[in-house]
Amino acid sequence: MIPPAENGKRTGRAEAPARRFASGTLVYWAGLILFSLTAPLLARDIPPDVPPPKSTAIPAPAIQALPNGLQVVGVERHTLPLITLRLVVKAGAELDPARLPGTAALVNSLLTEGTTHRTSRQIAEAIDSVGGLVDNGVGWDSSFLSLSVLSDQADLAFDLVSDMIEHPAFQLAEIERQRKQTLSGLKVAHDDPAYIADTLFQKLVFEGTPYSHPEDGTLESVPHITAEDLRGFHTRYYQPANCILAVVGDITASEAFARAARFFSTWENVAASAPPPLAAAPAPPGPRRVIAIDKPDAVQTEIRIGNLGVPRNSPDYLALSVANEILGGPSENRLFKALRSRQGLTYGASSDLVCRRNLGAWVAKTFTRTAETLKSAHIALEQMKSLRDHEISRQEMETAQSYLVGHLALEFETSQDVASQVLELIENGLPLDYWNHYPEKIQALTTGDVWNATQRYLDPDRNVIVLVGNVSDFKKDLKKLGPAQVIPLSEMDFGSPDLVRAQGKAGK
Amino acid sequence: MTFSLPFRRRAVTSLAVTLCLLLLVLEPAAASSVKLPSTDIHMVELANGLRALIVESHDAPVINVQVWYHVGSKNEAPGKTGFAHLFEHLMFDGTKNLGPNEFSDYIVRSGGTDNAYTTEDATVFWETVPSNMLPVVLWLEADRMRNLAITDKVFSNEREVVQEERRLRFDNLPYGGVVETLYAHAYAVHPYQHMTIGSMQDLERASIKDIQDFYDTYYVPNNVTLMIVGDVDWRQAAVEVQKYLGPVEAGKPLNAHAIPQEPAQTAERVIKLDLNVALPAFVEGYHMPADGTPDAYPLRLASRILSDGESSRIYTRLVYEKQIAVEAQSTGNFTEDPNLFFVFAIMNSGHTPAEGEAQVEAELVRLKTELVSDAELTKAKNQILRDFILSRQTVQTRAEELGYAAVVLKDPELVNTELARFLAVTPQDIQRVAKKYFVPENLTLVEVHPRKGPREQAAVSDATRGPDDRFGKTPLAGRGLDDQFGKNSLSGRGTL
Repeated sequence: MIPPAENGKRTGRAEAPARRFASGTLVYWAGLILFSLTAPLLARDIPPDVPPPKSTAIPAPAIQALPNGLQVVGVERHTLPLITLRLVVKAGAELDPARLPGTAALVNSLLTEGTTHRTSRQIAEAIDSVGGLVDNGVGWDSSFLSLSVLSDQADLAFDLVSDMIEHPAFQLAEIERQRKQTLSGLKVAHDDPAYIADTLFQKLVFEGTPYSHPEDGTLESVPHITAEDLRGFHTRYYQPANCILAVVGDITASEAFARAARFFSTWENVAASAPPPLAAAPAPPGPRRVIAIDKPDAVQTEIRIGNLGVPRNSPDYLALSVANEILGGPSENRLFKALRSRQGLTYGASSDLVCRRNLGAWVAKTFTRTAETLKSAHIALEQMKSLRDHEISRQEMETAQSYLVGHLALEFETSQDVASQVLELIENGLPLDYWNHYPEKIQALTTGDVWNATQRYLDPDRNVIVLVGNVSDFKKDLKKLGPAQVIPLSEMDFGSPDLVRAQGKAGK
Repeated sequence: MTFSLPFRRRAVTSLAVTLCLLLLVLEPAAASSVKLPSTDIHMVELANGLRALIVESHDAPVINVQVWYHVGSKNEAPGKTGFAHLFEHLMFDGTKNLGPNEFSDYIVRSGGTDNAYTTEDATVFWETVPSNMLPVVLWLEADRMRNLAITDKVFSNEREVVQEERRLRFDNLPYGGVVETLYAHAYAVHPYQHMTIGSMQDLERASIKDIQDFYDTYYVPNNVTLMIVGDVDWRQAAVEVQKYLGPVEAGKPLNAHAIPQEPAQTAERVIKLDLNVALPAFVEGYHMPADGTPDAYPLRLASRILSDGESSRIYTRLVYEKQIAVEAQSTGNFTEDPNLFFVFAIMNSGHTPAEGEAQVEAELVRLKTELVSDAELTKAKNQILRDFILSRQTVQTRAEELGYAAVVLKDPELVNTELARFLAVTPQDIQRVAKKYFVPENLTLVEVHPRKGPREQAAVSDATRGPDDRFGKTPLAGRGLDDQFGKNSLSGRGTL
């Protein structure tokens, strides 16, 4: 019943200056005049002027650290009888052993499948019987376990989360069960063109860094992960000094701290957990790489085009956020206008500024019917070139700034929103008052700053292009994009250096 | 390392895990002491027939506005499938005052987001914006309610976009077409037999004249329920609604829709598909009553018992214990008219759909022959309570629930009172509905078998056994099984 969530984008705060609407009105008039030259219509009405928005209160997070180093963040909201605990481990798929992609994900998936005190079934029963909701998963720089309960079950929630995080049993039967699930999931994903495109783009653009493998592992790696590998990963990274606990909702911060102390203080650091070394810097971009994965039954081609970007804490992040709005963010989105609004080539076009702790990428994403594959790829490339080679207009700049600043009100709507913003700051080593200064910093940017950033970080001549579709229908002109490698989907292997499965080569 | 036991139950657990397992089974789950906070709904009815429902919520300086047109894909005539959804797209494509996409420009400049979606029963347009934007949003919605202006070029462009959406959601996905095939065979006359996205052929044939008729008939204030939830003063909001939407002229009265009702199915129908997929799968659909009817509540709880959470029956049996499925779920697709109760599973390698079907059947038989325990029912009720509370978290989900209650269930107060209907359900009710609906003659089954050998066009071997078979349906690759089993609803403006 609830429509799919919007693409979340980093945003700004709604302390917008009153002149925003004045300048907005000017912009609309300019648009009108242009439009009425082409369409002879009567005088148009325009929407009413409104007062400036209320300012968004960005609550100062209540934070305390336990003696064992566990950071506890309390975010209160008492309008709903609901409490969420979210425990974040500052270790994700980038710490997978090089030969064993999927280790971090498998460790995390086993947290709910039995501890040294509770069986998998007992955990499920305990959570389900009180209407709890558990969620866990792995990102690139962190892993999490979250549990939401009605507010009369706070003790149970603390008890369960501490047990699952600290004492996973890694029983062989559960490991095998979870391994089987993972492998089946990977087999299904292998037929999903969007999964293949995203995973392959990531592999190519981050080649040579710990960010390039499939985060859920591969059909080749997952069978080789042992119980010892899982325990080793857990022991090394699931330590209190490496974790943050957010306690959110209908519970006061002081109660949250008291319960955290009660349930988590016996958790000990087993080793000095030095932060993992920074990932090796990616190689400088070479010539453009074009990889086309042939999926003969596809009726649509998934397209990814992009290059390296910046880590989340880069000083260029804000200028690039604006630039990304222009290229393919929710507000301006030149890709959407060029590919969908003007030509009807796609249902969706967007770009993502992917910012991880140590590095990032900037990628344009779309999909189109097979026959329009190369046309769509060329249009996306032109949009990227144009953004690199020309300064953006004042109107685009103002729309993007206005969106980013105004959207902050939406980003801080719920207590869970507030918690995830705080967690993101801590994970990326950003100051806790970051969002309070965000609006003024966004408003201070100029079109020149944005151009400067796009010249440095958009590299349409030396980027990575991934196409997943029925290649035989567009192979003829593929060369126009650059030297291309075509791989049949049935022979593709994310673990192999040349992406081709060994038996595929042998079998000719 | 020693471990302290701060919680009483754990002391028991650590003493004897098996004993505790037993205790957990014997000890009934306690009904939650938590109460659902009440929502105050303010209703305004305009002379033109438009109804507005306003709810104040001051947690954050934002509002969500939703315009529900009571028209969905079940209002589409044969040969004109996909129109309701195509029309939803066109509502962004310009009015006599605004150019294409200018609507959304006003929203994004405020920092807001907007979108729309279409279901079998309704077409919904929504905006989440900073709360000062209410007059702008109402102006924009009133403008497209009466001033839509679509050029030929924009129309044909949008039709191509919708065809791309169809490819994305159906034709290019691994388990595509499975649900479309199920509906095509489960229904003989009711328009739920077609997907909201419509068929490529019908989309191809859509003309601007068709579209104009659709607009004039359904996009009228007397077919609209407007939701405003968020940081507003409801009296002030009511004044703004009158100011901007009051002047929109009423349309003709809508006929109490002459939608053909589906006759009772009389024999099981089985369809087998060979698709380019890695793992076998199956989807079962049992006819069941409309949402909001008395039997809907025990069925919803039955669905929780079968499939909500890792301790649920189907998950436990197929995924956890037998390990024959990678995923297995049941869920009712509850709608305004009677729809289907689904059970589906994606099998693990080496296991056939028939194995999974047998295990599901065993669980359905158990539901019919054994009363569910109080503990299990209480667990399901706690999950329902939780979901009511979760749906109150954002202004958007609150407006969504309100719109659904008002338009589809025809009583906005249900956002407060519907929980009691769930809590009143007894184990006997669940047994009764299981016996009534989970019977073979009420079942349509689609099996998916991975194709062996070289690729070719998808083939269908139709082994339908019912008396009213309709052959010749081509299976169209479709929506992914995993994210498929909610409402048959389409979001309007994807950005990936």
